[in-house]
Amino acid sequence: MKNLLILALAMLLAACGTVRKVESGANLVGERMSIKVDGNWNHLDFPGIKPAQIWTMEGVTIDELLVYSGIRDGQIMHPDSPASEKRKDFVFRKTMQTEEIVSMLEGVLSRDGSTFKLRKLEPYPFGGRKGFRFEYERVRKIDNVQMRGVGFGAIDKEELFALVYQAPRLTFFPRHQSRIETIAKAVSIK
Amino acid sequence: MKRRQLLAAGCACCASVIAGRAWGQAAPDYLAPQRFQRPDLTTDEGGLWAMMDREEKALRRSPLVLRDAKLTTYVQDLACRLGAGHCPDIRIFLVRTPQFNASMAPNGMLQIWTGLLLRMENEAQLAAVIGHEIGHYLQRHSVERLRDIKSRAAAGQVLALFGLAGAIGQLAVLAGSFAYSRDHEHEADRIGAYLMHRAGYPVAESAAVWSNLLDEARAREGEEPSQSSPLFATHPVPPERRDNLAQLAKLMPGGSDGKDRYAEHTVHLLDEWLQDEIKRGQYAESLVLLSRRIAAGSAPDLMRYYRGEVHRLRGMTGDHDLAWNDYQAAAAGAVPPPPAFRGIGLVARQRGQKDEARHAFARYLDLAPDAPDAALIQSYITELSS
Repeated sequence: MKNLLILALAMLLAACGTVRKVESGANLVGERMSIKVDGNWNHLDFPGIKPAQIWTMEGVTIDELLVYSGIRDGQIMHPDSPASEKRKDFVFRKTMQTEEIVSMLEGVLSRDGSTFKLRKLEPYPFGGRKGFRFEYERVRKIDNVQMRGVGFGAIDKEELFALVYQAPRLTFFPRHQSRIETIAKAVSIK
Repeated sequence: MKRRQLLAAGCACCASVIAGRAWGQAAPDYLAPQRFQRPDLTTDEGGLWAMMDREEKALRRSPLVLRDAKLTTYVQDLACRLGAGHCPDIRIFLVRTPQFNASMAPNGMLQIWTGLLLRMENEAQLAAVIGHEIGHYLQRHSVERLRDIKSRAAAGQVLALFGLAGAIGQLAVLAGSFAYSRDHEHEADRIGAYLMHRAGYPVAESAAVWSNLLDEARAREGEEPSQSSPLFATHPVPPERRDNLAQLAKLMPGGSDGKDRYAEHTVHLLDEWLQDEIKRGQYAESLVLLSRRIAAGSAPDLMRYYRGEVHRLRGMTGDHDLAWNDYQAAAAGAVPPPPAFRGIGLVARQRGQKDEARHAFARYLDLAPDAPDAALIQSYITELSS
Protein backbone atom coordinates (compact mmCIF):
# COMPACT_ATOMS: atom_id res chain seq x y z
CA MET A 1 0.00 0.00 0.00
CA LYS A 2 2.84 2.33 0.96
CA ASN A 3 4.57 1.61 -2.35
CA LEU A 4 1.40 2.38 -4.22
CA LEU A 5 1.09 5.74 -2.46
CA ILE A 6 4.71 6.61 -3.28
CA LEU A 7 4.12 5.64 -6.91
CA ALA A 8 0.93 7.74 -7.05
CA LEU A 9 2.77 10.72 -5.53
CA ALA A 10 5.66 10.33 -7.98
CA MET A 11 3.21 10.22 -10.90
CA LEU A 12 1.44 13.29 -9.56
CA LEU A 13 4.69 15.22 -9.26
CA ALA A 14 5.77 14.08 -12.72
CA ALA A 15 2.50 15.39 -14.13
CA CYS A 16 2.96 18.74 -12.39
CA GLY A 17 6.45 19.30 -13.69
CA THR A 18 9.99 19.52 -12.44
CA VAL A 19 12.23 22.30 -11.18
CA ARG A 20 16.01 22.37 -11.30
CA LYS A 21 18.64 24.99 -10.69
CA VAL A 22 20.29 26.73 -13.64
CA GLU A 23 24.03 26.93 -13.03
CA SER A 24 25.78 30.30 -13.27
CA GLY A 25 27.90 30.64 -16.38
CA ALA A 26 27.26 29.33 -19.88
CA ASN A 27 24.35 26.92 -20.35
CA LEU A 28 23.80 25.06 -23.58
CA VAL A 29 20.10 25.01 -24.46
CA GLY A 30 19.18 22.56 -27.15
CA GLU A 31 21.99 21.78 -29.53
CA ARG A 32 23.11 25.22 -30.64
CA MET A 33 22.22 28.07 -28.27
CA SER A 34 24.42 29.01 -25.34
CA ILE A 35 23.08 31.35 -22.65
CA LYS A 36 25.34 32.88 -20.06
CA VAL A 37 23.59 33.72 -16.78
CA ASP A 38 24.43 34.79 -13.28
CA GLY A 39 22.19 34.78 -10.24
CA ASN A 40 19.60 32.34 -8.98
CA TRP A 41 17.76 31.00 -11.98
CA ASN A 42 15.52 27.93 -11.94
CA HIS A 43 14.39 25.88 -14.91
CA LEU A 44 10.80 24.62 -14.83
CA ASP A 45 9.47 21.91 -17.02
CA PHE A 46 5.78 21.10 -17.25
CA PRO A 47 3.30 19.93 -19.86
CA GLY A 48 2.11 22.44 -22.44
CA ILE A 49 5.19 24.67 -22.43
CA LYS A 50 7.23 22.88 -25.09
CA PRO A 51 9.05 23.66 -27.30
CA ALA A 52 10.11 26.48 -24.96
CA GLN A 53 11.86 26.19 -21.64
CA ILE A 54 10.77 28.39 -18.74
CA TRP A 55 13.39 29.91 -16.48
CA THR A 56 12.52 32.06 -13.50
CA MET A 57 14.25 34.03 -10.77
CA GLU A 58 11.35 35.11 -8.58
CA GLY A 59 8.98 32.19 -9.17
CA VAL A 60 6.93 31.38 -12.22
CA THR A 61 3.85 33.33 -11.15
CA ILE A 62 6.04 36.44 -10.98
CA ASP A 63 8.65 36.39 -13.69
CA GLU A 64 9.49 34.07 -16.54
CA LEU A 65 12.10 33.82 -19.23
CA LEU A 66 10.88 31.77 -22.18
CA VAL A 67 13.78 30.18 -24.01
CA TYR A 68 13.31 28.93 -27.58
CA SER A 69 16.22 27.09 -29.10
CA GLY A 70 16.32 25.51 -32.53
CA ILE A 71 12.59 25.61 -33.27
CA ARG A 72 12.12 23.87 -36.61
CA ASP A 73 9.82 24.52 -39.54
CA GLY A 74 6.30 23.25 -38.78
CA GLN A 75 6.84 22.97 -35.03
CA ILE A 76 3.74 23.83 -32.97
CA MET A 77 4.22 26.43 -30.26
CA HIS A 78 2.98 25.56 -26.77
CA PRO A 79 0.20 23.13 -27.59
CA ASP A 80 -1.82 23.41 -24.39
CA SER A 81 -4.08 20.50 -25.26
CA PRO A 82 -4.38 17.72 -27.86
CA ALA A 83 -7.13 19.82 -29.50
CA SER A 84 -4.88 22.84 -29.97
CA GLU A 85 -2.10 20.57 -31.26
CA LYS A 86 -4.53 19.23 -33.83
CA ARG A 87 -5.68 22.74 -34.75
CA LYS A 88 -2.06 23.94 -35.04
CA ASP A 89 -2.95 27.35 -33.61
CA PHE A 90 0.59 28.72 -33.67
CA VAL A 91 3.17 27.10 -35.89
CA PHE A 92 6.68 28.29 -36.69
CA ARG A 93 7.50 28.46 -40.39
CA LYS A 94 11.06 28.90 -41.61
CA THR A 95 9.93 31.55 -44.11
CA MET A 96 8.45 33.82 -41.42
CA GLN A 97 9.43 37.47 -41.46
CA THR A 98 10.17 39.29 -38.22
CA GLU A 99 6.62 40.69 -37.90
CA GLU A 100 5.18 37.22 -38.32
CA ILE A 101 7.39 35.75 -35.62
CA VAL A 102 6.43 38.52 -33.22
CA SER A 103 2.74 38.04 -34.11
CA MET A 104 3.12 34.33 -33.38
CA LEU A 105 4.63 35.10 -29.97
CA GLU A 106 1.88 37.68 -29.33
CA GLY A 107 -0.66 34.95 -30.02
CA VAL A 108 1.09 32.52 -27.69
CA LEU A 109 1.19 35.10 -24.90
CA SER A 110 -2.45 36.11 -25.27
CA ARG A 111 -4.05 32.72 -25.90
CA ASP A 112 -5.26 32.65 -22.27
CA GLY A 113 -7.29 35.83 -22.82
CA SER A 114 -4.49 38.15 -21.67
CA THR A 115 -4.07 41.39 -23.61
CA PHE A 116 -0.85 42.16 -25.46
CA LYS A 117 0.26 45.57 -26.68
CA LEU A 118 3.40 45.88 -28.73
CA ARG A 119 5.40 48.91 -27.63
CA LYS A 120 8.51 48.66 -29.79
CA LEU A 121 9.94 46.42 -32.51
CA GLU A 122 13.40 47.06 -33.87
CA PRO A 123 16.34 45.35 -35.57
CA TYR A 124 18.79 43.79 -33.11
CA PRO A 125 21.83 41.54 -33.50
CA PHE A 126 21.00 38.35 -31.59
CA GLY A 127 23.47 35.52 -31.19
CA GLY A 128 25.63 37.15 -33.83
CA ARG A 129 22.76 36.98 -36.34
CA LYS A 130 20.55 39.64 -37.86
CA GLY A 131 17.63 39.55 -35.46
CA PHE A 132 15.06 41.62 -33.68
CA ARG A 133 14.09 43.01 -30.29
CA PHE A 134 10.61 43.89 -29.06
CA GLU A 135 8.96 45.36 -25.97
CA TYR A 136 5.40 44.85 -24.89
CA GLU A 137 2.77 45.29 -22.19
CA ARG A 138 0.43 42.55 -21.14
CA VAL A 139 -2.49 42.28 -18.73
CA ARG A 140 -2.53 38.73 -17.45
CA LYS A 141 -6.11 37.48 -17.59
CA ILE A 142 -5.95 35.08 -14.68
CA ASP A 143 -5.10 37.69 -12.04
CA ASN A 144 -5.26 41.07 -13.88
CA VAL A 145 -1.58 41.74 -13.18
CA GLN A 146 -0.06 44.34 -15.51
CA MET A 147 3.16 42.94 -16.94
CA ARG A 148 5.96 44.30 -19.07
CA GLY A 149 8.04 42.19 -21.37
CA VAL A 150 11.01 42.22 -23.68
CA GLY A 151 11.91 39.71 -26.37
CA PHE A 152 14.84 38.96 -28.68
CA GLY A 153 15.15 36.56 -31.56
CA ALA A 154 16.69 35.51 -34.85
CA ILE A 155 16.36 32.78 -37.43
CA ASP A 156 19.49 30.82 -38.24
CA LYS A 157 19.71 27.86 -40.62
CA GLU A 158 15.91 27.85 -40.80
CA GLU A 159 15.57 27.46 -37.03
CA LEU A 160 14.19 29.99 -34.55
CA PHE A 161 16.14 31.13 -31.50
CA ALA A 162 14.47 33.54 -29.08
CA LEU A 163 14.24 34.79 -25.51
CA VAL A 164 11.14 36.40 -24.05
CA TYR A 165 11.14 37.80 -20.52
CA GLN A 166 8.13 39.16 -18.65
CA ALA A 167 7.38 40.31 -15.11
CA PRO A 168 4.99 42.69 -13.29
CA ARG A 169 5.61 46.18 -14.60
CA LEU A 170 6.13 47.62 -11.12
CA THR A 171 9.22 46.50 -9.21
CA PHE A 172 10.06 43.17 -10.82
CA PHE A 173 10.46 44.10 -14.49
CA PRO A 174 12.60 47.20 -13.78
CA ARG A 175 14.61 45.17 -11.27
CA HIS A 176 15.66 42.55 -13.81
CA GLN A 177 15.52 44.30 -17.19
CA SER A 178 19.21 45.20 -17.39
CA ARG A 179 20.16 41.65 -16.38
CA ILE A 180 18.00 40.30 -19.22
CA GLU A 181 19.51 42.74 -21.73
CA THR A 182 22.97 41.52 -20.68
CA ILE A 183 21.92 37.88 -21.11
CA ALA A 184 20.49 38.60 -24.57
CA LYS A 185 23.66 40.38 -25.66
CA ALA A 186 25.78 37.41 -24.60
CA VAL A 187 23.74 34.70 -26.35
CA SER A 188 25.71 32.70 -28.86
CA ILE A 189 24.40 30.40 -31.57
CA LYS A 190 26.70 27.66 -32.90
CA MET B 1 -48.09 6.32 -1.85
CA LYS B 2 -45.13 5.61 -4.09
CA ARG B 3 -47.45 5.06 -7.05
CA ARG B 4 -49.07 8.44 -6.39
CA GLN B 5 -45.72 10.15 -6.26
CA LEU B 6 -44.77 8.53 -9.55
CA LEU B 7 -48.05 9.64 -11.11
CA ALA B 8 -47.54 13.19 -9.85
CA ALA B 9 -44.01 13.28 -11.22
CA GLY B 10 -45.26 11.99 -14.57
CA CYS B 11 -47.95 14.67 -14.71
CA ALA B 12 -45.42 17.37 -13.87
CA CYS B 13 -43.21 16.09 -16.64
CA CYS B 14 -46.08 16.10 -19.14
CA ALA B 15 -47.05 19.60 -18.05
CA SER B 16 -43.58 20.87 -18.76
CA VAL B 17 -43.61 19.25 -22.21
CA ILE B 18 -47.01 20.77 -22.96
CA ALA B 19 -45.81 24.15 -21.72
CA GLY B 20 -42.78 23.81 -23.95
CA ARG B 21 -44.97 23.10 -26.95
CA ALA B 22 -47.22 26.00 -26.08
CA TRP B 23 -44.17 28.29 -26.44
CA GLY B 24 -43.78 26.82 -29.89
CA GLN B 25 -47.38 27.35 -30.99
CA ALA B 26 -48.40 30.75 -29.67
CA ALA B 27 -46.58 34.00 -29.07
CA PRO B 28 -44.88 33.56 -25.69
CA ASP B 29 -45.86 35.60 -22.73
CA TYR B 30 -43.77 36.00 -19.64
CA LEU B 31 -44.45 37.47 -16.26
CA ALA B 32 -41.16 38.49 -14.67
CA PRO B 33 -40.78 38.04 -10.90
CA GLN B 34 -40.54 40.99 -8.54
CA ARG B 35 -37.12 42.52 -7.89
CA PHE B 36 -34.99 40.17 -5.83
CA GLN B 37 -34.11 40.89 -2.23
CA ARG B 38 -30.58 40.11 -1.06
CA PRO B 39 -30.80 36.55 0.31
CA ASP B 40 -29.76 35.64 3.83
CA LEU B 41 -26.02 35.02 3.98
CA THR B 42 -26.52 31.71 5.77
CA THR B 43 -28.34 30.21 2.78
CA ASP B 44 -26.66 28.67 -0.26
CA GLU B 45 -28.07 31.49 -2.41
CA GLY B 46 -26.72 34.09 0.03
CA GLY B 47 -23.30 32.44 -0.18
CA LEU B 48 -23.44 32.54 -3.96
CA TRP B 49 -24.31 36.25 -3.93
CA ALA B 50 -21.47 36.98 -1.52
CA MET B 51 -19.05 35.13 -3.80
CA MET B 52 -20.28 37.10 -6.80
CA ASP B 53 -20.00 40.36 -4.83
CA ARG B 54 -16.31 39.59 -4.23
CA GLU B 55 -15.89 38.78 -7.93
CA GLU B 56 -17.55 42.07 -8.87
CA LYS B 57 -15.32 44.03 -6.51
CA ALA B 58 -12.25 42.55 -8.22
CA LEU B 59 -13.75 43.15 -11.66
CA ARG B 60 -14.34 46.84 -10.90
CA ARG B 61 -10.59 47.30 -10.48
CA SER B 62 -9.60 45.09 -13.41
CA PRO B 63 -7.60 46.75 -16.20
CA LEU B 64 -9.43 44.40 -18.57
CA VAL B 65 -12.73 46.26 -18.08
CA LEU B 66 -13.41 48.77 -20.86
CA ARG B 67 -13.51 52.31 -19.49
CA ASP B 68 -15.57 53.62 -22.39
CA ALA B 69 -18.38 55.58 -20.78
CA LYS B 70 -20.31 56.09 -24.00
CA LEU B 71 -20.48 52.41 -24.88
CA THR B 72 -21.06 51.25 -21.31
CA THR B 73 -23.97 53.68 -20.86
CA TYR B 74 -25.40 52.58 -24.19
CA VAL B 75 -25.31 48.90 -23.20
CA GLN B 76 -26.61 49.70 -19.71
CA ASP B 77 -29.59 51.54 -21.23
CA LEU B 78 -30.25 48.61 -23.53
CA ALA B 79 -30.19 46.19 -20.58
CA CYS B 80 -32.59 48.48 -18.71
CA ARG B 81 -35.07 48.47 -21.56
CA LEU B 82 -34.97 44.66 -21.58
CA GLY B 83 -34.93 44.15 -17.81
CA ALA B 84 -37.63 46.75 -17.15
CA GLY B 85 -38.41 46.62 -13.41
CA HIS B 86 -35.09 44.89 -12.68
CA CYS B 87 -33.08 47.68 -14.28
CA PRO B 88 -31.72 49.11 -10.99
CA ASP B 89 -30.19 45.73 -10.15
CA ILE B 90 -28.32 45.19 -13.44
CA ARG B 91 -24.70 46.35 -13.62
CA ILE B 92 -22.82 46.10 -16.91
CA PHE B 93 -19.13 45.23 -17.26
CA LEU B 94 -17.60 45.14 -20.73
CA VAL B 95 -14.49 42.97 -20.53
CA ARG B 96 -11.66 43.03 -23.04
CA THR B 97 -11.40 39.37 -24.00
CA PRO B 98 -11.64 38.24 -27.63
CA GLN B 99 -13.80 35.15 -27.05
CA PHE B 100 -17.59 35.05 -27.51
CA ASN B 101 -19.08 35.13 -24.03
CA ALA B 102 -21.58 36.85 -21.76
CA SER B 103 -22.75 35.88 -18.29
CA MET B 104 -25.01 37.27 -15.62
CA ALA B 105 -24.46 36.52 -11.97
CA PRO B 106 -27.34 36.17 -9.50
CA ASN B 107 -26.39 39.47 -7.83
CA GLY B 108 -26.99 41.39 -11.10
CA MET B 109 -23.40 41.63 -12.42
CA LEU B 110 -23.59 41.26 -16.20
CA GLN B 111 -20.29 40.63 -18.02
CA ILE B 112 -20.02 40.93 -21.78
CA TRP B 113 -16.75 40.12 -23.52
CA THR B 114 -15.48 42.16 -26.44
CA GLY B 115 -15.24 39.06 -28.67
CA LEU B 116 -19.03 38.94 -28.45
CA LEU B 117 -19.44 42.66 -29.09
CA LEU B 118 -17.25 42.34 -32.18
CA ARG B 119 -19.56 39.65 -33.54
CA MET B 120 -22.79 41.58 -33.07
CA GLU B 121 -24.07 43.08 -36.31
CA ASN B 122 -26.69 45.32 -34.75
CA GLU B 123 -28.37 46.38 -31.54
CA ALA B 124 -31.03 43.68 -31.85
CA GLN B 125 -28.41 40.91 -31.73
CA LEU B 126 -26.91 42.40 -28.60
CA ALA B 127 -30.42 42.68 -27.16
CA ALA B 128 -30.89 38.97 -27.89
CA VAL B 129 -27.79 38.06 -25.90
CA ILE B 130 -28.56 40.38 -22.99
CA GLY B 131 -32.20 39.27 -22.98
CA HIS B 132 -31.01 35.67 -22.78
CA GLU B 133 -28.75 36.46 -19.82
CA ILE B 134 -31.52 38.37 -18.08
CA GLY B 135 -33.67 35.28 -18.65
CA HIS B 136 -31.16 33.22 -16.64
CA TYR B 137 -31.14 35.90 -13.96
CA LEU B 138 -34.92 36.17 -13.66
CA GLN B 139 -35.32 32.40 -13.39
CA ARG B 140 -32.44 32.22 -10.88
CA HIS B 141 -30.81 29.46 -12.91
CA SER B 142 -27.41 29.80 -11.26
CA VAL B 143 -28.88 28.96 -7.87
CA GLU B 144 -30.72 25.99 -9.35
CA ARG B 145 -27.51 24.89 -11.04
CA LEU B 146 -25.53 25.22 -7.82
CA ARG B 147 -28.03 22.99 -6.05
CA ASP B 148 -28.02 20.53 -8.93
CA ILE B 149 -24.22 20.32 -8.93
CA LYS B 150 -24.15 19.81 -5.18
CA SER B 151 -26.66 16.98 -5.33
CA ARG B 152 -24.91 15.38 -8.30
CA ALA B 153 -21.54 15.71 -6.61
CA ALA B 154 -22.94 13.81 -3.63
CA ALA B 155 -24.33 11.14 -5.96
CA GLY B 156 -21.00 10.99 -7.80
CA GLN B 157 -19.10 10.42 -4.55
CA VAL B 158 -21.35 7.51 -3.67
CA LEU B 159 -21.03 6.04 -7.16
CA ALA B 160 -17.24 6.33 -7.01
CA LEU B 161 -17.26 3.52 -4.47
CA PHE B 162 -18.46 1.04 -7.10
CA GLY B 163 -15.48 0.65 -9.43
CA LEU B 164 -16.08 0.64 -13.19
CA ALA B 165 -19.86 0.51 -12.84
CA GLY B 166 -19.59 3.49 -10.53
CA ALA B 167 -17.44 5.38 -13.04
CA ILE B 168 -20.07 4.82 -15.72
CA GLY B 169 -22.67 6.03 -13.24
CA GLN B 170 -20.58 9.17 -12.63
CA LEU B 171 -20.54 9.84 -16.37
CA ALA B 172 -24.31 9.50 -16.45
CA VAL B 173 -24.55 12.01 -13.59
CA LEU B 174 -22.29 14.42 -15.50
CA ALA B 175 -24.34 13.99 -18.68
CA GLY B 176 -27.47 14.70 -16.64
CA SER B 177 -25.90 17.92 -15.44
CA PHE B 178 -25.23 19.03 -19.03
CA ALA B 179 -28.82 18.20 -20.02
CA TYR B 180 -30.07 20.25 -17.08
CA SER B 181 -27.94 23.16 -18.25
CA ARG B 182 -29.28 22.83 -21.79
CA ASP B 183 -32.84 23.04 -20.45
CA HIS B 184 -31.90 26.31 -18.77
CA GLU B 185 -30.50 27.59 -22.04
CA HIS B 186 -33.73 26.80 -23.87
CA GLU B 187 -35.74 28.59 -21.21
CA ALA B 188 -33.44 31.63 -21.25
CA ASP B 189 -33.70 31.73 -25.06
CA ARG B 190 -37.48 31.85 -24.89
CA ILE B 191 -37.52 34.55 -22.22
CA GLY B 192 -34.86 36.53 -24.06
CA ALA B 193 -36.93 36.36 -27.26
CA TYR B 194 -39.95 37.66 -25.40
CA LEU B 195 -38.02 40.49 -23.77
CA MET B 196 -36.43 41.65 -27.02
CA HIS B 197 -39.77 41.51 -28.80
CA ARG B 198 -41.34 43.59 -26.05
CA ALA B 199 -38.49 46.13 -26.37
CA GLY B 200 -39.15 46.47 -30.11
CA TYR B 201 -36.42 44.28 -31.66
CA PRO B 202 -36.87 41.61 -34.35
CA VAL B 203 -36.53 38.17 -32.74
CA ALA B 204 -35.07 36.78 -35.98
CA GLU B 205 -31.80 38.50 -35.01
CA SER B 206 -31.40 36.11 -32.08
CA ALA B 207 -31.38 33.22 -34.54
CA ALA B 208 -28.83 35.13 -36.62
CA VAL B 209 -26.45 35.27 -33.64
CA TRP B 210 -26.33 31.49 -33.48
CA SER B 211 -26.30 31.07 -37.22
CA ASN B 212 -23.20 33.28 -37.46
CA LEU B 213 -21.50 31.48 -34.60
CA LEU B 214 -22.25 28.17 -36.24
CA ASP B 215 -20.64 29.32 -39.49
CA GLU B 216 -17.47 30.22 -37.60
CA ALA B 217 -17.38 26.97 -35.66
CA ARG B 218 -17.86 24.95 -38.85
CA ALA B 219 -14.96 26.75 -40.50
CA ARG B 220 -12.62 24.79 -38.28
CA GLU B 221 -11.28 22.02 -40.38
CA GLY B 222 -13.21 18.75 -40.11
CA GLU B 223 -14.92 19.53 -36.84
CA GLU B 224 -18.56 19.74 -35.94
CA PRO B 225 -19.30 22.52 -33.42
CA SER B 226 -20.44 20.02 -30.80
CA GLN B 227 -16.91 18.55 -30.85
CA SER B 228 -14.92 21.70 -31.23
CA SER B 229 -16.21 23.87 -28.42
CA PRO B 230 -16.91 23.23 -24.74
CA LEU B 231 -19.61 25.90 -25.06
CA PHE B 232 -21.77 23.42 -26.90
CA ALA B 233 -21.49 20.75 -24.21
CA THR B 234 -23.63 22.77 -21.82
CA HIS B 235 -25.52 24.76 -24.42
CA PRO B 236 -28.00 23.39 -26.97
CA VAL B 237 -26.36 22.56 -30.29
CA PRO B 238 -26.54 25.74 -32.44
CA PRO B 239 -28.62 24.38 -35.37
CA GLU B 240 -31.30 23.30 -32.92
CA ARG B 241 -31.05 26.58 -31.08
CA ARG B 242 -31.07 28.64 -34.25
CA ASP B 243 -34.13 26.77 -35.54
CA ASN B 244 -36.04 27.14 -32.27
CA LEU B 245 -35.36 30.86 -32.23
CA ALA B 246 -36.34 31.20 -35.87
CA GLN B 247 -39.61 29.50 -34.96
CA LEU B 248 -40.18 31.99 -32.15
CA ALA B 249 -39.38 34.85 -34.54
CA LYS B 250 -42.34 33.81 -36.71
CA LEU B 251 -44.62 34.06 -33.70
CA MET B 252 -43.32 37.51 -32.73
CA PRO B 253 -42.84 39.49 -35.95
CA GLY B 254 -41.76 43.09 -36.38
CA GLY B 255 -39.17 45.30 -34.75
CA SER B 256 -36.20 47.42 -35.72
CA ASP B 257 -32.62 46.12 -35.61
CA GLY B 258 -30.83 49.39 -34.62
CA LYS B 259 -27.86 48.65 -36.88
CA ASP B 260 -26.75 52.26 -37.22
CA ARG B 261 -26.97 52.97 -33.49
CA TYR B 262 -24.83 49.92 -32.73
CA ALA B 263 -22.23 50.92 -35.32
CA GLU B 264 -22.13 54.47 -33.99
CA HIS B 265 -21.32 53.27 -30.47
CA THR B 266 -18.73 50.64 -31.39
CA VAL B 267 -16.89 51.84 -34.50
CA HIS B 268 -14.10 53.57 -32.54
CA LEU B 269 -13.25 50.32 -30.73
CA LEU B 270 -13.25 47.98 -33.71
CA ASP B 271 -9.53 48.34 -34.39
CA GLU B 272 -8.56 47.20 -30.88
CA TRP B 273 -11.07 44.34 -30.92
CA LEU B 274 -9.85 43.16 -34.31
CA GLN B 275 -6.23 43.21 -33.14
CA ASP B 276 -7.28 40.96 -30.26
CA GLU B 277 -9.28 38.75 -32.60
CA ILE B 278 -6.41 37.87 -34.92
CA LYS B 279 -4.10 37.17 -31.97
CA ARG B 280 -6.34 34.19 -31.18
CA GLY B 281 -4.74 32.41 -34.10
CA GLN B 282 -8.10 30.94 -35.14
CA TYR B 283 -7.67 32.11 -38.70
CA ALA B 284 -10.47 30.08 -40.29
CA GLU B 285 -13.00 31.51 -37.84
CA SER B 286 -11.68 35.04 -38.22
CA LEU B 287 -11.96 34.82 -42.00
CA VAL B 288 -15.63 33.88 -41.76
CA LEU B 289 -16.27 36.77 -39.38
CA LEU B 290 -14.37 39.33 -41.47
CA SER B 291 -15.87 38.21 -44.77
CA ARG B 292 -19.34 38.50 -43.28
CA ARG B 293 -18.61 42.03 -42.04
CA ILE B 294 -17.16 43.05 -45.43
CA ALA B 295 -20.24 41.70 -47.20
CA ALA B 296 -22.43 43.69 -44.80
CA GLY B 297 -20.47 46.84 -45.61
CA SER B 298 -19.48 47.63 -42.03
CA ALA B 299 -16.15 49.53 -41.73
CA PRO B 300 -15.05 47.83 -44.98
CA ASP B 301 -11.53 49.32 -45.21
CA LEU B 302 -10.63 48.21 -41.69
CA MET B 303 -12.18 44.77 -42.21
CA ARG B 304 -10.32 44.29 -45.48
CA TYR B 305 -7.03 45.27 -43.86
CA TYR B 306 -7.54 42.73 -41.07
CA ARG B 307 -8.60 40.02 -43.50
CA GLY B 308 -5.34 40.73 -45.32
CA GLU B 309 -3.50 40.34 -42.01
CA VAL B 310 -5.19 37.00 -41.34
CA HIS B 311 -4.18 35.71 -44.78
CA ARG B 312 -0.61 36.93 -44.38
CA LEU B 313 -0.23 35.41 -40.92
CA ARG B 314 -1.81 32.09 -41.92
CA GLY B 315 0.66 31.88 -44.79
CA MET B 316 -0.89 28.95 -46.65
CA THR B 317 -0.47 28.54 -50.40
CA GLY B 318 -2.07 31.50 -52.16
CA ASP B 319 -2.61 33.44 -48.93
CA HIS B 320 -0.10 36.16 -49.79
CA ASP B 321 -1.99 36.89 -53.01
CA LEU B 322 -5.23 37.12 -51.10
CA ALA B 323 -3.56 39.35 -48.50
CA TRP B 324 -2.20 41.56 -51.28
CA ASN B 325 -5.68 42.03 -52.76
CA ASP B 326 -7.19 42.97 -49.41
CA TYR B 327 -4.37 45.36 -48.51
CA GLN B 328 -4.70 47.07 -51.87
CA ALA B 329 -8.47 47.40 -51.50
CA ALA B 330 -8.08 48.76 -47.96
CA ALA B 331 -5.38 51.23 -49.04
CA ALA B 332 -7.60 52.49 -51.87
CA GLY B 333 -10.62 52.91 -49.59
CA ALA B 334 -12.19 56.05 -48.22
CA VAL B 335 -10.53 55.64 -44.80
CA PRO B 336 -7.35 53.64 -45.44
CA PRO B 337 -5.82 52.20 -42.26
CA PRO B 338 -2.08 53.11 -42.23
CA PRO B 339 -0.95 49.52 -41.56
CA ALA B 340 -2.52 48.48 -44.89
CA PHE B 341 0.51 50.16 -46.52
CA ARG B 342 2.84 48.21 -44.25
CA GLY B 343 1.05 45.04 -45.38
CA ILE B 344 1.62 45.95 -49.03
CA GLY B 345 5.27 46.59 -48.23
CA LEU B 346 5.74 43.27 -46.46
CA VAL B 347 4.19 41.23 -49.24
CA ALA B 348 6.04 43.21 -51.93
CA ARG B 349 9.34 42.71 -50.05
CA GLN B 350 8.80 38.97 -49.97
CA ARG B 351 7.99 38.98 -53.68
CA GLY B 352 11.17 40.93 -54.42
CA GLN B 353 9.25 44.01 -55.66
CA LYS B 354 11.71 46.44 -54.11
CA ASP B 355 10.36 49.77 -55.37
CA GLU B 356 6.80 48.93 -54.51
CA ALA B 357 7.84 47.75 -51.05
CA ARG B 358 9.91 50.86 -50.37
CA HIS B 359 7.13 53.24 -51.43
CA ALA B 360 4.52 51.41 -49.35
CA PHE B 361 6.75 51.39 -46.26
CA ALA B 362 7.47 55.11 -46.69
CA ARG B 363 3.75 55.84 -46.96
CA TYR B 364 3.13 53.82 -43.79
CA LEU B 365 5.73 55.80 -41.85
CA ASP B 366 4.31 59.07 -43.19
CA LEU B 367 0.89 58.16 -41.84
CA ALA B 368 2.09 56.51 -38.62
CA PRO B 369 5.51 57.94 -37.67
CA ASP B 370 5.17 56.78 -34.06
CA ALA B 371 4.18 53.21 -34.89
CA PRO B 372 5.82 50.67 -32.56
CA ASP B 373 7.55 48.97 -35.48
CA ALA B 374 8.80 52.22 -37.08
CA ALA B 375 12.48 51.38 -36.46
CA LEU B 376 12.16 47.97 -38.11
CA ILE B 377 10.28 49.37 -41.11
CA GLN B 378 12.89 52.12 -41.48
CA SER B 379 15.57 49.40 -41.57
CA TYR B 380 13.67 47.71 -44.41
CA ILE B 381 13.57 50.98 -46.36
CA THR B 382 17.33 51.36 -45.91
CA GLU B 383 17.91 47.75 -46.97
CA LEU B 384 15.66 48.14 -50.02
CA SER B 385 17.42 51.36 -51.04
CA SER B 386 20.90 49.88 -50.94
